[in-house]
Amino acid sequence: MSTNTEGPPVTRDHEPTQVADDGMEVIARTQGQMVLRRFLRHRAAMLGLGTLLFIVVLAYTSIGYGPFGGWWDKSFLRTGTVLDGGRPTLFTEGFALGEHPFGQDNVGKDYFALVMRGTQQSLVVAFIIGIVTTLLGTLIGAAAGFFRGRTEAVLMRITDAMISVPTLIFAAIVAAVFGRTGIVFLGIALGVVTWTGLARLVRGEFMALREKEFVEAARAIGTSNWRIITKHILPNTVGVIIVTATLAIAAGILLETALSFLGLGIQPPDVSLGSLITEYQTAMVSRPWLFWWPGIFIVAIALSVNFIGDGLRDAFDPRQNRVRD
Amino acid sequence: MSMSDPAHPEDATTTPPLDAVDGRTSDELLRVEDLTVSFPTDDGLVQAVRGVSYSVREREVLGIVGESGSGKSVSSMALMGLLPKSARVTGSVYFRGRDVLQLREKHQRALRGSRIAMIFQDPMTALNPVYSIGDQLAEAVLSHHTMPRKKALDRAAEMLDMVGIPQARERLRNYPHEFSGGMRQRVMIAMAVINNPDIIIADEPTTALDVTVQAQILETLIEVKDAVNAAIIMITHDLGVIAGIADRTLVMYAGKPVEVAETGPMFANPRMPYTAGLMGSIPSLEDSTNERLRPIKGTPPSLISLPIGCAFEPRCPLSTAECLETEPPLTETDKPDHVAACHHWQKLAAVDDPTAYFRTESEVGR
Amino acid sequence: MAVFILRRFIISTFTLLAASFVVYFGVSISGDPFEDLRGIQDEGDAQIQIAARRELLQLDVPVPLRWFNWLTGIFRGDFGLNIRNQDVSALLSNAAAATMQMVIVATVLAIVLGVTVGIVSALRQYSGFDYSLTFAAFLFYSLPVFWVAVMLKQYAAIEFNNWLRDPTISPTVTVVVALLAAVAWQALIGGDRQRRLVVSITSFASTAAVLVFFSTTRWFADPGFGTIVVGVMSVISAVVATYLTAGFRHRPPLQAAGATAVAGVGFYLVGGPILAEPSAWTLLGLFVLGIGAALGIGAGLGGIHRRQAMSASALTAVLVSGVIFMDQLLQAYERFFGLVRGRPISTVGSATPGFTGNFWEVGLDSISHLMLPTVALLLISFAVYTRYTRASMLEVMNQDYIRTARAKGLTERTVVMRHGFRNALIPVTTLMAFDFGAVIGGAVITEQVFGWQGMGTLFIRGLNEVDPNPVMAFFVVAGGSIVVFNMIADIAYAYLDPRIRLS
Repeated sequence: MSTNTEGPPVTRDHEPTQVADDGMEVIARTQGQMVLRRFLRHRAAMLGLGTLLFIVVLAYTSIGYGPFGGWWDKSFLRTGTVLDGGRPTLFTEGFALGEHPFGQDNVGKDYFALVMRGTQQSLVVAFIIGIVTTLLGTLIGAAAGFFRGRTEAVLMRITDAMISVPTLIFAAIVAAVFGRTGIVFLGIALGVVTWTGLARLVRGEFMALREKEFVEAARAIGTSNWRIITKHILPNTVGVIIVTATLAIAAGILLETALSFLGLGIQPPDVSLGSLITEYQTAMVSRPWLFWWPGIFIVAIALSVNFIGDGLRDAFDPRQNRVRD
Repeated sequence: MSMSDPAHPEDATTTPPLDAVDGRTSDELLRVEDLTVSFPTDDGLVQAVRGVSYSVREREVLGIVGESGSGKSVSSMALMGLLPKSARVTGSVYFRGRDVLQLREKHQRALRGSRIAMIFQDPMTALNPVYSIGDQLAEAVLSHHTMPRKKALDRAAEMLDMVGIPQARERLRNYPHEFSGGMRQRVMIAMAVINNPDIIIADEPTTALDVTVQAQILETLIEVKDAVNAAIIMITHDLGVIAGIADRTLVMYAGKPVEVAETGPMFANPRMPYTAGLMGSIPSLEDSTNERLRPIKGTPPSLISLPIGCAFEPRCPLSTAECLETEPPLTETDKPDHVAACHHWQKLAAVDDPTAYFRTESEVGR
Repeated sequence: MAVFILRRFIISTFTLLAASFVVYFGVSISGDPFEDLRGIQDEGDAQIQIAARRELLQLDVPVPLRWFNWLTGIFRGDFGLNIRNQDVSALLSNAAAATMQMVIVATVLAIVLGVTVGIVSALRQYSGFDYSLTFAAFLFYSLPVFWVAVMLKQYAAIEFNNWLRDPTISPTVTVVVALLAAVAWQALIGGDRQRRLVVSITSFASTAAVLVFFSTTRWFADPGFGTIVVGVMSVISAVVATYLTAGFRHRPPLQAAGATAVAGVGFYLVGGPILAEPSAWTLLGLFVLGIGAALGIGAGLGGIHRRQAMSASALTAVLVSGVIFMDQLLQAYERFFGLVRGRPISTVGSATPGFTGNFWEVGLDSISHLMLPTVALLLISFAVYTRYTRASMLEVMNQDYIRTARAKGLTERTVVMRHGFRNALIPVTTLMAFDFGAVIGGAVITEQVFGWQGMGTLFIRGLNEVDPNPVMAFFVVAGGSIVVFNMIADIAYAYLDPRIRLS
């Protein structure tokens, strides 16, 4: 697989290309269209998007979520008889799922259902982390970058204090405090300790943009601060924010699995992908599939999201990939 | 590699002795023949330079004028071998009779900075921020001459002094960020002439500077050029600069030269509507008639899909059906050294003020 | 510059202080410190134990005051007692040594490898090498550390040790590895089709030959270099060092580097007795002496190229020292192999309990314990440094001053090494500070997988037992080392960027 962004031209019929009468080609594209076009051409990102969608759909339709039932009849909580040593039945009889596609654990729980449940919970936590991080990071970074002075000093000292401690340490502590209150609170709590990177980036962007002529111009005609921030500066930082938010989701997945490994994440009987690996790590030799499936799902999700983030970065800021002329 | 004082540049390169090449006049230094440069991009092939030919004589100042994107900078980067690897370059560049583009990388490099030097547009970014001025100047000497570092630094101080930087020896220890923009451009000039080059390519050397500093820098450049007996290719979009210093001028449009002549006659009698248009678009203090400026309307064509005929046709007040169909070649006009690429140069020759053709356009248009 | 660094140091000390309160507070309220005692059947006994613990942990004192008491204790070097009434300072000193060793080795390796690979990747942008590396970096970002650690433990330790009983390489493996080597080398070296073909064939043949040699001589059962390999590698070191520092345009740097290599090999041949049972200090002294001698050789032979000659020979000395060090380690392998009963790659702990031996054997023992946790820890940082350096280098190589350097007629080597590399390193130093914290976080996890009694254990156990003092001990060491590392990064930054240094 490659992350080629300058591959052979792909035929596109939706492109707003007009051929003028004088034979000169005029290609008119808005900023948004150009970003979308570059993103759609990023093959790795498209592959990542496809994989992620597939996993999301699979996880939520198979065993259902909340009041909605799914097409898979086994529960992740129900134990049963262990068939064939719990070996996976996926593709053992042709192209079919079989009775227990991902196998069973030692008490006969259906591992497919468990992995699906783990995927659901990990995704929920990761997305909540992503959302909370983005909101906090943008808010704090924007305030610090725009207002300067005391506001900035206070906010950036807080940021520095948080950065000076490894994220995992803070995360472990908030997980210890909030972890038992359910996954939504866990996600929010983790979001509260991971916004620092984005805040610094947004602050940097704001500091650069607030000196730009178009902001000066807006200020000169008496535009309010709120309007300058929301209409003039924020749209110009949206690329950085979206990219970082995406990467925060990938980091969130891994953070949740790490905490689960330390026994601080999602608490039994509920499961996450991280807690599954932790629970079955000793089965590496006897029943390796119990170790492999959740790991593969974590890597697939994180990799997909990271590639999507890379595609977005290239789409918003193609500088790095362009040959200078 | 034999070596001596940089004041005697002849032995600075390892290249073989020069042979006279057919058609080269005795004092011709550089001849560019049918140079083309194109860049593959996502949207197609950008034809940045589409066949440029000119020559530069010893100690001459050749001005190259054009809008941004006319290929003036790209063509000069091509003859320095500084284009990115993706660029496709064809044609020939004869320096003292040898085709630079055919030379091996090693020999090309021996010319670069030694025989052919370059000054760039933005002095704020053209110097490496992490090395002192002395280091960077000495490096230019040491990359072509084998000598103790101390001697190279002496040479650097001498050059800084020549370009008008006071306390040159002390300032060698300073870093670029400790200099103003004008001073940095002086350093760039010192760096360009430190190996006594035969030709200096100055790519918009004053564009990024304050107006008051611009004149000083041009003056310094001319003084230094005379001191080392170099020729200059002055690339600019500023006709004022050209009028001030260029002996001959080449006007470029959409990757091609459209008019070449001695500067005086060209300014007095342009033979290409584009040149006339450029002159009409400069404000003049002496002009008491209270006339409006006469800008050229429209924009240059896309270099990806050029028209079949004259590239200037869509913007030209003289255009006819002929201009749409065939691209005019660069031909001799009413004077032998005055060449222009226009089907209708006679029309310009027929009137007193060729810029007047642009008058109706702009003034009616409002 | 001193003012700049001192200011940063004071600010980070204060932020650390503030953070310490947050951590202390968080741990204190994170749960029920009596959870394990609630299960005790005998009501009275439970009450007594709970009262004792309340006394021990000063639970009647408000949290901020407890934090303050803890803080004053720290300044006296007293880390307090843990929930089991053990002295945390004593626990910490053992734990910190093991963990910091791993963290520092991982960080240094990640920086050296990541920066090197990132630069090459940038210079070979859009090559097969670049694409594979990009993919690898993304994969490493996406791997859960403990998942990798568990896999390494299974495949790189247990299965590898099993394989060592009969260390032969099957023909299939030989062919596959040689093919991979061929693909990698041609992508790395590049050039036109013919050159790539030649490189592919050469690297395929030589890799296959080496593997067959290893297999038939059962090299892995008792690995070693021998004099010839040491000699050849020293000469290669001299050439590489000269290429990197001075280039081959002038003779003297190469001569100086060559002379240094010869001197190094000479010492290797006659210095056996000194090297047989050295102390760490002897080795360090020899190393410094070697560098000094190399600088002398460079100055003596350099002539007017003294500067380049000195750096070429000094770098040669570093590389040759490395070669000799490796050789000596491998010479001790046989005895070490016997001492660990034929299972050299360890999966548990940071040292074999009760292991004694000379410097080389102890060295092998700690390398064999450090290796896998370090690799697991390294992957993410390596990926981060690679991507970051690559981006930085690409950015720098597009700068105007690189064009100026080319216009001066400098060789591509000088442009890249002197003008590109130096500037590309500046933003990387700021990454160092961030990444170090992440590595410490990662170490907490790897330690758990590999069963180290390190700082991570101190932290996790303290957190689970709602016992602030061990957690705070971890915090002080982690936070303190992050502050120190930040300072190193600041100094490196100031050294690299005169705009900071002179302001």
